[in-house]
Amino acid sequence: METLFKRKVTVTLKYIVVTFVASLLLMLIMSSFAKREYAISIFLGFALFAMAITYLTNFSIPMKFFLPGMFFLIAFVVGPILYTVAMSAFHYETGNYISKPEAITQILSTGVRPDDNQTTFDIVIGEDASKNLEILASDPTNKKYFISTLTKKIDLDPATLKIDENGDVATAPGFHALTPSEQSALDAQLGKARFAYSSDYFLTIEGGTLGSLKRQTLVYDQATDTFRNVLTGTSYKDNGTGDFANVANKAEILQPGWRAPIWFANYTKLFTDPQIRKPLIRVFIWTVVFATLTVLTQFALGLLIALVMNRKLFGRRIYRSIIILPYAMPSIMSILIWGGMFDTEFGAINHLFGTHVHWFQSPLYARLAVIIVNLWLGFPYFYLICSGALQAIPAELSEAAAIDGASSGQIFRKITLPLLLQVVSPLLVASFAFNFNNFNIIYLLTGGGPSNTLGGDVAGSTDILISYTYKIAFGAGTQNLGLASAISVVIFFIIASISLYGIRRSKVLDSFA
Amino acid sequence: MKRWLKEDLWRHAIAIVVCFFVLFPIYLVILSALSPTGSLQVTSFIPKTISFHNFSQLFTSPKIPYLVWMKNSLVIAGVVAILSVVIGAASAFAFSRLRFKGKKQGLQLLLLVQMFPAILSLSAVYVIMSRVYSFAPRIGLGTQPGLLLVYMGGAMGVNIWLLKGFVDSIPMELDEAAKVDGASAVQTYWLIFVPLAAPVLAVVSLLSFIGTFNEFILARLFLVDMHARTIAVGLQGFISGQYASNWGPFAAGSIIASIPLIAIFLSLQRYIISGLTAGSVKG
Repeated sequence: METLFKRKVTVTLKYIVVTFVASLLLMLIMSSFAKREYAISIFLGFALFAMAITYLTNFSIPMKFFLPGMFFLIAFVVGPILYTVAMSAFHYETGNYISKPEAITQILSTGVRPDDNQTTFDIVIGEDASKNLEILASDPTNKKYFISTLTKKIDLDPATLKIDENGDVATAPGFHALTPSEQSALDAQLGKARFAYSSDYFLTIEGGTLGSLKRQTLVYDQATDTFRNVLTGTSYKDNGTGDFANVANKAEILQPGWRAPIWFANYTKLFTDPQIRKPLIRVFIWTVVFATLTVLTQFALGLLIALVMNRKLFGRRIYRSIIILPYAMPSIMSILIWGGMFDTEFGAINHLFGTHVHWFQSPLYARLAVIIVNLWLGFPYFYLICSGALQAIPAELSEAAAIDGASSGQIFRKITLPLLLQVVSPLLVASFAFNFNNFNIIYLLTGGGPSNTLGGDVAGSTDILISYTYKIAFGAGTQNLGLASAISVVIFFIIASISLYGIRRSKVLDSFA
Repeated sequence: MKRWLKEDLWRHAIAIVVCFFVLFPIYLVILSALSPTGSLQVTSFIPKTISFHNFSQLFTSPKIPYLVWMKNSLVIAGVVAILSVVIGAASAFAFSRLRFKGKKQGLQLLLLVQMFPAILSLSAVYVIMSRVYSFAPRIGLGTQPGLLLVYMGGAMGVNIWLLKGFVDSIPMELDEAAKVDGASAVQTYWLIFVPLAAPVLAVVSLLSFIGTFNEFILARLFLVDMHARTIAVGLQGFISGQYASNWGPFAAGSIIASIPLIAIFLSLQRYIISGLTAGSVKG
């Protein structure tokens, strides 16, 4: 009886939760659809559908367990990864962020020139009886007055107008001036509006009371997909990589460009363009050196301490508690503190040793500092691992070897170390993979520097691949998301092969079947 | 007695040198937190005057919403820790105990996905969340719930792996007995597995808590508003940007922020280490 009741309660609870989440999803689907974010609506629609099938039927038992986790993984991990891979196939950098139609609109709106005399008219902004925008323009010197709409120019007879002492007119029959608040409501429209003047020229509003005479110099021909400069006669053709380039001189392009698919060009650039390849190789070598040195120093010091304390030692618990402190502290704060300690003038390191080293100005010292700080952060981890592994090695083995006359050095080299490495090597590989992408320490300690910014170098001496890529994608100068995405994909393959090698060795995958 | 001293002296010597290396930065932080000038400048390694001004400043200065930051961090990390483990445990259970087609491929895929450097899909996450913002401003870019959702996604892979390792080590007999008695997989999960695995789930959620508490890059990208920041972003602001190298409050704030983490760590050492060897890697 009681269990039946319990069952009813849990089933009811299930329906309440499912209904709640479903209505939440439905709400998001509707609002995303309204904002034309169709990709998101479709994804959420799928999620809703999958949820209904999974929890209201017995279609698949494992799915009941997987669905929530899958939702988050696909939305925030797999989705962004696919997006990144897609971006790597595009010419996607500062100056090429927008779509092609947007780029054409922008080129058209900037491809104008004032006429040679820089003619301006005094204007009043208003509208006609049917609320169409128009301007009333006065030319006091030539005593010419006209109304100009977006499509036509209507010359007015001065005799019918009330001309003030400046020679301007403020009103005309059928013309309704806009109040300042009405004008500011139309601000965006007024800034872009082009009022008719002649076949070549038009008027734009400058500062609300002046109209200046301009002509379109860059004209777009949709049929041939080219821009032509009407003054010089130069034509600009779509160069296939997201820019309109001068037909005669390919290097001259119109701004802005657009994000055009260029397939593998970002990848080939990595290997062929010397300006990209050279720093990339330098950074890659340092990344490998950095990760290797980090793992070796961390492991060596961790193992040393584990060996030293691998016996009953007075105060061992205290030592142990102190040694794991770096691992327990928030690493961001430790890194920032170390950054302060390496300061040349006021830093504690120079003070302690009585030196005057410019730690972050010299490539060699900056690299040394990064390794030291990473040693501090990471050796407690290997100490914990090694001391656990050492305790798991049966004492009989080394005792037997000792009886057979092996020295303590021999016992360590021939018995302890091989057994230890068997346990620890997958973790060494994992740690290598982690440090290969250890963004925080580089970013927060040296910022990748020192770098020759005057020489235009993006890559600093301590930049590792990931921090270098971050700079390419989000740096202060030009940001190249396409190239950065391509490097990300390459890094992914490197890390994946390292990790798969480690996993093969640790035989984790054997237990899958 | 003498032999004992001779045997162990070098061990103590090494241990003490290493302890000095470990404690040196920590001592400096405490020193500058207690220094009235509030800088990391070292004129002497022994403090002449001790002042708690830096600490009191954290709680009284209207310019430093320290308690708000701390609350933000605790709430975000807490929610992520609990939810991600609740959701991750279900997947881990299925991977560990259920038989189904594509299990091996699923695990491999999970592993592969984890290897993609998260920071590099940052721009994609940014674009996606700014789109979400356009129709749901409460969970989009720049909001704490939005950051929380992104963290949930990031925590999933690690947690499922870690939990699967633990679940594998829980003996099968009990859930087999439940199956014989006619329990469904869902019932086995809720009635047998969750109570059994409760301590393990607690440890994994603490690890997840620590990881989220430490996260910096996403938090900085997402949380622009002063009062929405997490502690890591807030404290970093002291020594870069508008506060220009304000080491005193930074040091004091770091000490207070470290205390809960260190307490968790020291009290759960044993479990955390077994979790580490199961595959998670930190610094």
